[in-house]
Amino acid sequence: MGTQNIPSSVVQFALADKLINIGRANSFWPLTFGIACCAIEMMATGCARFDMSRFGAEVFRPSARQSDVMIVAGTITKKMMPGIKTLYDQMPEPKWVMALGNCAISGGPFAFEGQYSIILGADTFLPVDVYIPGCPPRPEALLQGIIELEHLVSDWKRWKNPEAA
Amino acid sequence: MEHQFSAFLYQEHVLWIAAFTLGGLAFALGPIAIVYLFMPLQTRQLSNKALQFIECGMDPIGDSWIRYGVVFYLYALIFLAFDVDVLFLFPVATVYNTALFASSVRDFVEIVLFVGILALAIVYAWIKGVFKWERKTFLRR
Repeated sequence: MGTQNIPSSVVQFALADKLINIGRANSFWPLTFGIACCAIEMMATGCARFDMSRFGAEVFRPSARQSDVMIVAGTITKKMMPGIKTLYDQMPEPKWVMALGNCAISGGPFAFEGQYSIILGADTFLPVDVYIPGCPPRPEALLQGIIELEHLVSDWKRWKNPEAA
Repeated sequence: MEHQFSAFLYQEHVLWIAAFTLGGLAFALGPIAIVYLFMPLQTRQLSNKALQFIECGMDPIGDSWIRYGVVFYLYALIFLAFDVDVLFLFPVATVYNTALFASSVRDFVEIVLFVGILALAIVYAWIKGVFKWERKTFLRR
């Protein structure tokens, strides 16, 4: 999607925005939205064994108007695309999109000649922030993606990079 | 002197009332104004459907203000007739076998009269054809 204008508020305080962004990064509210088998992995991530709530992102909201992260979990069919666009429209700012799995990244196994029903990648019509590869990705990969999104949203780091030290 | 005093008191009261009114308004409208200043005034749009009421992404089919058959209304009214019947028979049923009312033909006749009068409502509806389950059609303007 390239560069785009992110709508912002009339009044802005840089310091408060930093603090608020730390809050946002630590409490993502993903949209309850699974369109294919990657959603099963997303459910597993939310459940007790992998426990997404360790990273504050367990509050899956059933309404787009309450959520700020859309996890595009699976194959995007051409019939589903208008619905995904509508859901993205209904999410309030600030909002982020994660492409979970190969189908949402590039069409995955559906990228072949003569294919007529699948959108090849969420980034053809959505501004995707984090790509999580895998077919389907392990729940750990989704957790890694959430941590990457945390780093994207805020300067605050959950832990220091051991390789940089 | 009396007039001067009361006028001064009155003025003070008006000031207090005005101050509290303004304070109340500020507390009520202030958060709305603050939120308006701090919120993003628009969201990124792909198909301009942010104001669509349905939150599942699919376009709604038709309006939610649909017309129901008037048959249901009559059904509810008739239910009331049966309901009142049963309601008033409960206390009768609890005391009917007690010693006070035992072996009395008069009590039985009274109940029959009571139920008979209430049943007239059902008979009336029957004659009016309410129990025939038909969709009544009206001219739609």
